[in-house]
Amino acid sequence: MADELKEELLEEDASKGKFMTFQTGREYFGISISYVSEIIQMQPITAIPEAEDYIKGLINLRGKIIPVIDVRVRFKMEPAEYTDRTCIIVIDVKSTVIGLIVEKIAEVDDIMDEDVVPPPTLGGHRDNEKNKYVYGLARTGDTMKLLLDPEKLIKQEDLDILEDIQEDEQQA
Amino acid sequence: MAEEFNTDSMLSMFLYESYQGLEKLEGIVLEKQDADCFDDSDINEIFRIMHTIKGSSAVLMYENIKTASHKLEDVFYYLRESHPEDVPHMELVEKVLAVSDFITGELDKIKAGSEPDGDEKKLVEDLDQFLAELKGEIKKQGIRLPKANKQEEPTQFYITPVAEDDSHFYRIVIHYRSDTQMSNIRAYSATYALKEVAEDLLYTPEDILSNEASGDSILAEGFHMLLQTKASKDEVMELIDSSEAETIDFDEINKTEYGKALTEFGREAPPIVINLDDDKGGAKDDKKQQAPIAPGDYVVKSKETGKGKTLAKNQPKQQAVISVNVEKMDALMDMIGELVIAEATVLQNPDLKVPGLDLTNFQKAAAQLAKNTTELQDVIMSMRMMPLTNVFQKMRRIVFDTSRKLGKDIDFEVIGENTEVDKNIIEHISDPLMHLVRNSVDHGIEDNADLRLANGKKAKGKITLEAKNEGGKVYISVKDDGKGLNKEKLYNKALENGLIGDKLMSDFTEKEIFKFITLPGFSTKEVVTEYSGRGVGMDVVVKNIQSIGGRLEIDSVEGQGSEMTLVIPLTLAIISGIVIQVGEAPFVIEMASIKEFISVSEDALIQEPSGEEYLVLRGDCFPFIRLCEKYDLPGAKTKLEDGIVVVVEHEGKQICVLIDKILQEQEIVVKPIPSYVKKVKGLSGCTQLGDGSIALILDVGGLMIEEERR
Amino acid sequence: MKILLAEDDFASRKFMDKQLSQYGECDVMVDGEEAVDAFMMALDDGEPYDLACLDVMMPVMDGYQVLKAIRDIETQKGIPKSERVKVIMTTALNDERNVKMAFELGCEAYAGKPIDMEKFEKVLKKLELI
Repeated sequence: MADELKEELLEEDASKGKFMTFQTGREYFGISISYVSEIIQMQPITAIPEAEDYIKGLINLRGKIIPVIDVRVRFKMEPAEYTDRTCIIVIDVKSTVIGLIVEKIAEVDDIMDEDVVPPPTLGGHRDNEKNKYVYGLARTGDTMKLLLDPEKLIKQEDLDILEDIQEDEQQA
Repeated sequence: MAEEFNTDSMLSMFLYESYQGLEKLEGIVLEKQDADCFDDSDINEIFRIMHTIKGSSAVLMYENIKTASHKLEDVFYYLRESHPEDVPHMELVEKVLAVSDFITGELDKIKAGSEPDGDEKKLVEDLDQFLAELKGEIKKQGIRLPKANKQEEPTQFYITPVAEDDSHFYRIVIHYRSDTQMSNIRAYSATYALKEVAEDLLYTPEDILSNEASGDSILAEGFHMLLQTKASKDEVMELIDSSEAETIDFDEINKTEYGKALTEFGREAPPIVINLDDDKGGAKDDKKQQAPIAPGDYVVKSKETGKGKTLAKNQPKQQAVISVNVEKMDALMDMIGELVIAEATVLQNPDLKVPGLDLTNFQKAAAQLAKNTTELQDVIMSMRMMPLTNVFQKMRRIVFDTSRKLGKDIDFEVIGENTEVDKNIIEHISDPLMHLVRNSVDHGIEDNADLRLANGKKAKGKITLEAKNEGGKVYISVKDDGKGLNKEKLYNKALENGLIGDKLMSDFTEKEIFKFITLPGFSTKEVVTEYSGRGVGMDVVVKNIQSIGGRLEIDSVEGQGSEMTLVIPLTLAIISGIVIQVGEAPFVIEMASIKEFISVSEDALIQEPSGEEYLVLRGDCFPFIRLCEKYDLPGAKTKLEDGIVVVVEHEGKQICVLIDKILQEQEIVVKPIPSYVKKVKGLSGCTQLGDGSIALILDVGGLMIEEERR
Repeated sequence: MKILLAEDDFASRKFMDKQLSQYGECDVMVDGEEAVDAFMMALDDGEPYDLACLDVMMPVMDGYQVLKAIRDIETQKGIPKSERVKVIMTTALNDERNVKMAFELGCEAYAGKPIDMEKFEKVLKKLELI
């Protein structure tokens, strides 16, 4: 149901089929441009204590305070040094505004629905952390791009709910 | 106050006047509840209020309000005309309050946009009976009955407009096929069809009939319509002839969007003026200044196609009082917050730190700027301030109702009801306060007057509600001279309910034991009553108060009474704080919670085998937190000598926190940490510093809870 | 029942005409002057209107002027109060000053737009028109 809706939305959108691609490690990722609100340079980040490791902290986006997450860490990859090519892609997913730290912005690609193939599933075995957030693969030029589902990307693990319950119990 | 659904100004006026009247009436009644009877001026006033409400509700055709107020007016008519003696005063008080409650309930319904459909019959029967008895009494006392209070049926009525919240707002764009002939005529027939259901309809291009060329722009850009109607989307779609249409974009929009869209279509958005001002004097002046309307003021000059109407005569627009949408006030408040940050950005700009700069003039100008922003902030704050009068008035009623139901005789005193508090805060304290007051009546004051006498107290219990403003905080206390809290009982109860493990009574201070009553699942009253003691309550009170940054203090002497004090901040948005640094990270501590900064040597540190640390200052022992360890902050100073110790206080408890250095004092605008990030204990929010970087705000209360848990 | 409707805005006119026609024959005027003319004509013909619904903002004469003219004519012709035409103002101008003045000028009811037809009918009943 939700997917249908999203497809409808995408279809009506002028940004249909356009993907912001970026490089992390040796792999290329794509994210539908309809989610992207802007790309900014790396900024000083205020770390938040006790937050998940991939949440690097808060940045000040013209007076608006938004959290940023490191995509590499999110994929359980070794964190990379931040360089002057490191960028923050600011995305807006259902009114949640979040910055994604990526190593290098590649380009905006046109990717048609028919070019997208579902990611291979290895007998339902989830061997790769990345695959949780990838909904499709697309070949453009000579590179394969992993298309990300931003909603899954920013979704927190169910773990939190568990903790909340525990906390409530402790307080009671 | 709840959101106003209906913006009809006649209705607002009716509601405003009626609420005011009822409030006044309740005030009189509750003030005189213990007297033997109402005096002449009270009787006149109540009569007048009921007369007014009766009159206006009749014009607006609210029959049940009219009937109820009319009956009460009748009662007071006889009291006024015949001055009978020995009127059963308490019964009368109850009747008046019953009517007042009924009307208030109906007014609330109207305000919420629904029909006042309450049944007044029972009330009217009661009043009729009371009136009959009253008349009998009058006759018995040999006083001549006055002429019956003649009831004039109103001959003029006001029909309130349909509440607008039933309306739908649509933005419709029709794109016709490119080969459509006379698309302007097609567009016109669409508007014609829609006029049947439209409460308001705007379209562009406007000159569809008079200008044939408009057809081209319709083909090119589509025909745009803005429609306000009660009809559903399907009904509207049915009316539009879609035979030549390629696409019809149909968006339902909300009222605000509609208002904004109006201007796109070339109409000025209607100003929404709701007079909220309590200042009666001001409002009266305002009316005097407004030039009266005369016939002929609303002649429409000439009607240009499609244009809004212009009046031949200019309407005088003079108003001494303007009413402002609350949203706008909030927006202004936010702007001020940004301004305060911007000011800090300028005044603390790193560019100024270049050595050798002559900043004399800059500093002067900066001082002026700082003064102006502070004043501006004060003015805005004062605009949001409201006196506690209404809240306190409500409490009077609660004491009255509860004490009568419980059969207790209580004297209720109110002090400082004119104390002003931020509007947002008032909304949050009404319920907690109500709970405290009920508790005092129910649990505080002794059930038995003899018991009071035996303890050397007056038979009549006394509850004092007091508000005062001190040092940027508002203290609201509910004090009773009842039985007070029994520490042993509280301890045993907490033990029984398993709230405190197996700790001994001597482990707790007196205040800590009193605090037990705020634990969830704690109630000292064996019998659950209608008013309090359901085991939920005090914990909710505390939660509510904490949510606005306040706290509850409990003080009690057994046998002499208790005092519950709500300590709440004057305002929410901007606090003054000290910016500190630990490692690389800046933090802010609210000024009000800081007791002192001190330098301490390692000797003062006591380390327990468990790893817990304490600091001994002037002979007292305090829990000690190293922020750098707690939050794992790299690069922080670990030796006590190198850093600074801040002593912070919360609810009478103190802890010591080790930090690196103090950066500056600053007014800070509290912003929430984005909800995406999981809540961190000990942090209450974040803020933007002068250099644009973000600092986290330490929540001293939260830190302490954390510390205790360890 | 014979009804006079004065309303310059087409959409409102169409709506009101449709609503009022269920109670009786409805003559529709588009400006204030026409409304007064129609009122006079009906009086002269001996078939006066029972109800007049007047918009306030209208060309040539506004609703208040029409109301005043109607009441003046009636006074001048010595028409007793009980036989006067019942007047309902229909307008979006519904602040207190406007309503008060309309009442002072002697209208029977004042209906804020968008008109609540349920209440409108209630008033017609109270005015003993239906």
